[in-house]
Amino acid sequence: MPAFEPSPTEVYVSDASSAGDQVCEPGTACVRKVLLIEDDAETACEISAELAERGYAVEWAANGFDGLGKARAGKTDILIVDRMLPGLDGLSVIETLRRERVRTPVLVLSALGAVDDRVRGLRSGGDDYLTKLFALVELLARVEALLRRPAESPDTILRVGPLELDLLARTARRAERAIDLLPREFRLLEYMMRRQEQLLTRAMLFEEVWNYKFVPQSNLVDVHMGRLRRKIDGPNEPPMIYNVRGEGFVLRAPA
Amino acid sequence: MRLPEFAGTSTFRSALAIFGALAACTVLIFGIVLWQTSAYLTANIDRLISEVARLAAADEPLRQGARVEDHLRADPRRVKLGGLFDSAGKRLAGNVESVPPELHVDAGAQTTSLTRIDGFGRQTQSARTVAQRLADGRILIIGRKLDEVNEIFEIVWTVAALGLFAALCVGLAAAAWLNIRSQRRIEEVNRRIQLIVAGELKQRLPTTGNNDPFDRLALLVNGMLDDVESLIQNLVSVGDDIAHDLRTPLTRVRIGLERARANARSLSELQPAVDQAIAGIDHAVSIVTALLRIREIEQTRRLVGFDDVKVAELLREVGDLYEPFAEDKRLALTVKADVELSVRGDRDLLFEAVANLVDNAVKFTPQGGRIELRLGRQGESGVVRVSDTGPGVGEGERELIVQRFYRSDRSRHTKGLGLGLSLVAAIVKLHGFRLSIAPAPGFVAEIAFQPTEP
Repeated sequence: MPAFEPSPTEVYVSDASSAGDQVCEPGTACVRKVLLIEDDAETACEISAELAERGYAVEWAANGFDGLGKARAGKTDILIVDRMLPGLDGLSVIETLRRERVRTPVLVLSALGAVDDRVRGLRSGGDDYLTKLFALVELLARVEALLRRPAESPDTILRVGPLELDLLARTARRAERAIDLLPREFRLLEYMMRRQEQLLTRAMLFEEVWNYKFVPQSNLVDVHMGRLRRKIDGPNEPPMIYNVRGEGFVLRAPA
Repeated sequence: MRLPEFAGTSTFRSALAIFGALAACTVLIFGIVLWQTSAYLTANIDRLISEVARLAAADEPLRQGARVEDHLRADPRRVKLGGLFDSAGKRLAGNVESVPPELHVDAGAQTTSLTRIDGFGRQTQSARTVAQRLADGRILIIGRKLDEVNEIFEIVWTVAALGLFAALCVGLAAAAWLNIRSQRRIEEVNRRIQLIVAGELKQRLPTTGNNDPFDRLALLVNGMLDDVESLIQNLVSVGDDIAHDLRTPLTRVRIGLERARANARSLSELQPAVDQAIAGIDHAVSIVTALLRIREIEQTRRLVGFDDVKVAELLREVGDLYEPFAEDKRLALTVKADVELSVRGDRDLLFEAVANLVDNAVKFTPQGGRIELRLGRQGESGVVRVSDTGPGVGEGERELIVQRFYRSDRSRHTKGLGLGLSLVAAIVKLHGFRLSIAPAPGFVAEIAFQPTEP
């Protein structure tokens, strides 16, 4: 671990039922449903337990046909699909669903690490792709991100608490204080502001903000984040960027 | 893996087929020669007997008998035939017993059998014959035995048969020789293949150097064996390397967990050990990931993802990504890319390669040092050079350092060097560029490439 600025560190618990943008119909239990299509029972068990703990209702299908049936029938909020399944493989399941105009977000899991495979996974209609031997936190963060995909808002000014980002003028300010940002910092902040209150893992940031598909050997994301944070969170201001130890970063309006 | 018998008979069979064709040709040629010869000889005989008959017929009737007898005289080989018969068929002169019933009179030369009577007795002979009815009704027959033609026939056939027999012997011998030769070669190939199957990957198929199809095939197979050998060696070394490099972090994780279980008295005391264990496992996973990535790049043969990549822009982007990182370590990172060069390549991979070089440079250069990313030209080619003021590598290590997993001992405590460079090497190789570690103070890596014309 590099020498990191003394920073607010907290254990971040994403609670599905308290998600800010969740609109609940009166009288219905506001639980988000996950359909997990995964043939390895042990992996499925771990993932289900973790998701259930975070307040998701998890349904499990152990093969492609079963999964496809359940995806068609039930009202699912998100699909987690293993790439390799007995019978009907994961990509075919997704392709079939997309042909039938089922728009449910899909997170693809795969033991194949190949970049090509990732591209194929996304091309067949998956929305995100995770290589196996992932941390559970990573999975949770991605599920959360997919469920709360930012609406392409036409607003040219993003606001989180006192923080304001003008996309046209390319300026940033926190309350009265103008913040001078480098282009790379501006990109990073924009991405985070569109996903406030969300845990963003290093891999997600690297993939989405920098658009790189490889895993850097150094803690580059931390360094860039450190720079940004020093500019956003002034010495006497309550912190807005939180470093969730070992997991990632969250941008949150000060209480 | 038993080839010899099959191949042997096939060689033999083809030799026999060639011989058969040759024999057929020979017979045909002899046949034509014979046919032409006999036609020529027959025409000669016909001319001769016709002339004799004409002269005899033209003579005075009373002298015609004597003329026939004259013609028959001086015939040591007993080939001349002749006769003069009255209109009732009674012989008046000559050595032909009677007029054969099938003989056509006044119909030119023909082949008939005539019965000869002379001092040696009576004998039927096949002969070319002309028969002519004279003005007074008598019949004149002049013939010549066909033995000469037949003899020539016999001689020619004997010669042909002898020749064919000799050719057959030579052909069989050649076939057998070829057969044995290819048999030996196949047995040798067979033997070597069995050695290879048994694990002697250094074995190669024998070649004679005369560029026959067999040789070319052997060369092809040998080329394939070269590839297989290097692949297998690669695989073995990858396996060894994985084992070697995973052992260290895994051992550390194990020891850490063991000690924590023995010593921790509370959950909070256990937590740091668990965190460390997770970090250790993450490190192990990152090694496997990087290895698989190298594998993947090395096995990519297609160039479909290739596009024109602006190199200067790419270097500036890498610089932008690493600048804060370098600054944290109090290193000056400069990008000097004034020349605009483009190259055919996969942008993401090239970025990854340069980023890895810079990553290493940042890691290995002590505080206060400098890192430079420079794009330049060297004759026809473009060169991307990443240099730092770190400890660099020794002379002997320069080649080795590009090899997978190789780590220079001084840097063992900094994780990831070997893999990073192997990755760079794999990407550079995929693009057909050249990676070299220049002899200079500090670590200087150069990627030389062929720029596309702007």
